[in-house]
Amino acid sequence: MQKMLAVDPEKCTGCRLCETSCSIYNEKTCTPEKARIRVTKWENEGIYIPMVCQQCDIPICESVCPMHAIKRDSNTQALVIDKELCVGCRLCMQFCPFGGIGVDDETKKIIKCDLCNGEPICVKFCQPMALQYVDANTLNTRKRRAAAKRFSDILKKMLATI
Amino acid sequence: MSEVRCLNCLKRFSVRQKAETATCPKCKTKYRISWPTPNQAKIRGLA
Amino acid sequence: MVQKRKIAYINLTTKKLSQKAMPKKIRTMYIGGRGIDMYMLYNHLKPKIDPLSPQNVLLVGAGLLGGIPCLGSGRCDIAAKSPLTGAVGDSNIGGFFAPELRFTGFDHLAITGKAEKPVYLLVKNDEIEIKEASHLWGKDTFETQTIIRKDQDDENIKSLVIGVAGENLVKFANILTGMKNSAGRTGMGCVMGSKNLKAIAARGTTPLEFAHPDRLLEYCRQMNDMITSTRWSKAQSRWGTMIIYSNTNTTGLIRTRNFQLNRLEEGQDLEPENIDRYSIGTSGCYGCAVHCRHRYVLREGPHAPLYGEGPEYTSLGAFGTMIDCRKMETILVANHLVNKYGVDTLETGGLIAWAMELYEKGILNDKMTDGLKLEWGNEEALYEMITNIAHRKGFGNTLADGFKKAIAKIGNGSEYYAIQVKGMSNLHSDERPTPSFALGIATSTRGADHLRSRPAIDMYGLPEDLLEEVYGGPVASEYNSYYGKPRMVWWQERLYAVTDSIGLCKFQTVFCSVHAPQWKEFSKLIQLATGVEISETQLMEIGERIYTIERLFNLREGFSRKDDNLPERYFKEPTPIGLPVAKNKKIDREKFSKMLDEYYKLHGWGNDGIPTAGTLKKLGLDKEPSNLI
Repeated sequence: MQKMLAVDPEKCTGCRLCETSCSIYNEKTCTPEKARIRVTKWENEGIYIPMVCQQCDIPICESVCPMHAIKRDSNTQALVIDKELCVGCRLCMQFCPFGGIGVDDETKKIIKCDLCNGEPICVKFCQPMALQYVDANTLNTRKRRAAAKRFSDILKKMLATI
Repeated sequence: MSEVRCLNCLKRFSVRQKAETATCPKCKTKYRISWPTPNQAKIRGLA
Repeated sequence: MVQKRKIAYINLTTKKLSQKAMPKKIRTMYIGGRGIDMYMLYNHLKPKIDPLSPQNVLLVGAGLLGGIPCLGSGRCDIAAKSPLTGAVGDSNIGGFFAPELRFTGFDHLAITGKAEKPVYLLVKNDEIEIKEASHLWGKDTFETQTIIRKDQDDENIKSLVIGVAGENLVKFANILTGMKNSAGRTGMGCVMGSKNLKAIAARGTTPLEFAHPDRLLEYCRQMNDMITSTRWSKAQSRWGTMIIYSNTNTTGLIRTRNFQLNRLEEGQDLEPENIDRYSIGTSGCYGCAVHCRHRYVLREGPHAPLYGEGPEYTSLGAFGTMIDCRKMETILVANHLVNKYGVDTLETGGLIAWAMELYEKGILNDKMTDGLKLEWGNEEALYEMITNIAHRKGFGNTLADGFKKAIAKIGNGSEYYAIQVKGMSNLHSDERPTPSFALGIATSTRGADHLRSRPAIDMYGLPEDLLEEVYGGPVASEYNSYYGKPRMVWWQERLYAVTDSIGLCKFQTVFCSVHAPQWKEFSKLIQLATGVEISETQLMEIGERIYTIERLFNLREGFSRKDDNLPERYFKEPTPIGLPVAKNKKIDREKFSKMLDEYYKLHGWGNDGIPTAGTLKKLGLDKEPSNLI
């Protein structure tokens, strides 16, 4: 199964190392405005949610692009922008339901997560592992196991008392 | 196994995995132990 | 790069705004953040001005490396002449403000004058506006930030704000950003209030450029690995700075009932592990892989629902041990209150603990406290006292002026019970068993303080060859010893001065772990980020220069060797309880005086604590004020 950039908001500490490393890696400057991943915060309630392109299986961005500038990378399956073709119409940005697409203020062209050729820099910087680059099935197995652990603990206790 | 440093005599001594108490082998001070990670013990207070 | 960074001058009286590029010479001499703030403080102020007058300057300085992806690079330094002490006013704040300021293109702001009516500053990329803030006056610190974001329709704005305490000129009012990050010490919020300045809001989209971005990125990753692999960091990531309590309270190194005891005997509820009952997760400042504060929720009880962040180890003492409150919940409520009102947690707790001891001794009575029973552990009195201090109500008005004035007002032997140096309260740590810590609070340029020099690794009994390698001279392994401790303090003072200037988190250098980044790593980060080569030795000299210019400022204000002292109780009353290593300990007056001599000598200062002409020349301080910026 293809790997995906999985976000676990419960683990996010809001430090923005993902944004910072992303922008330095891709833009060679620290400019969170141009980061492909952004941490959306409700500061007064302590809620932090990293938002990034979901690399949808049926990508709306790709289908609305009049220039066919959005293509799927055969290796990583990421949706990548062909900057030569992009005319900066921003239709993809308007249609994306996740805010996964941004516009570079200087070049006026689209910027989005391309999974760093299969080694996302943000994942390497995320200490609490709120971001992981994993096989979707593995992720699901892990989640299932974490949820089942509660029942397993109860069972263990019951068995011990019998 | 993990190590903690005795707060009285500063000797490092080992604590067995998941232990809730430990005693310094040198000065015999007895501590309650907690675990910030599964592999790292820390002193919580006096036992 | 470095040369492109700017400094803005804002006069709130004349509304004149100007800007200037930061000269490279200033960078190489003072780096940024605290260093440049201290240079400007010494240069901009005439001696002996009233700290609350329009002449005082409020300096906001982002660190040189603010914004890099490692070691908590969101630190911002705020300075002015302190209204609390009359000495150097300086406080360092985490969170997200400093990087946002750097994204505007400005690294430093120098604010003078006084606005006629409440205002706030809006720094948006190249533009600075003085905005009307009457609608923000009276609002708490959290509301103020929310309203500014709504007004500007921009969720990404980061603001430094004051609460009602700053408006009311409480001498130890702080400046807050986010839910808890505070420039807490020395009353910088009071200076803001005196200028009718409610907030400084920043929003920038200007790229921060680096000399070697790819190599910097890789090196930052190594730095994060270096810090997160230390034992200290793993524990701190889990339970925050409160983990220090496990060691200090167990040993008997923690002020309890003001200064009567050195351990809270029934303090189990305050153990950091108990934050798990309230925590919904941890939270990190900008660029931090350690994330040492908790996001906590109170779901039950009279104060629920309540969301807060922290508490730090500081608040455990301020609202726990020092006043003999033994419930974690009390700490969480009080911590939230001080953040909301914008008042320093440590100073507030220190003053209330002092007042409780005076009440017990009969120096204060019900008539003087407006009927408030300032008894040990009285949490309702604690909440009311915090509120009254912030609003300058009743007896709160007396405490709101800080130790110096309150002692003068109360008199009657109250000074003896005040655990303060140069007019500023000490942390709840008890330094009687640790001469290195004691020397540090006595010599700190901003008054009793642990963040100027504390060599926390002194507590670990490290091998002496390792200590010699780190500190460059012999240092005793035992923390009870006086041998070599001045060298430790001197070394840490310079390291922290540089850390505050490059804008990284002090906890992520040699504070609690000997294996954390220090001179060598800082030198390399500076080189990769800016292209400027500053060697380890040069960095140490810069630290010396910064500390010495702070010293010059204090000397000019009339401070001298006699002010580098400890409260009398440190010499007279031995610690009554604790583990054998910490019990029955007090500071030896003669040995302390010898430590001070040795400490001055290491700095190149005379026995009177005045830097020698040779030292000033060597550090390039012989022609100050030079007024370059």
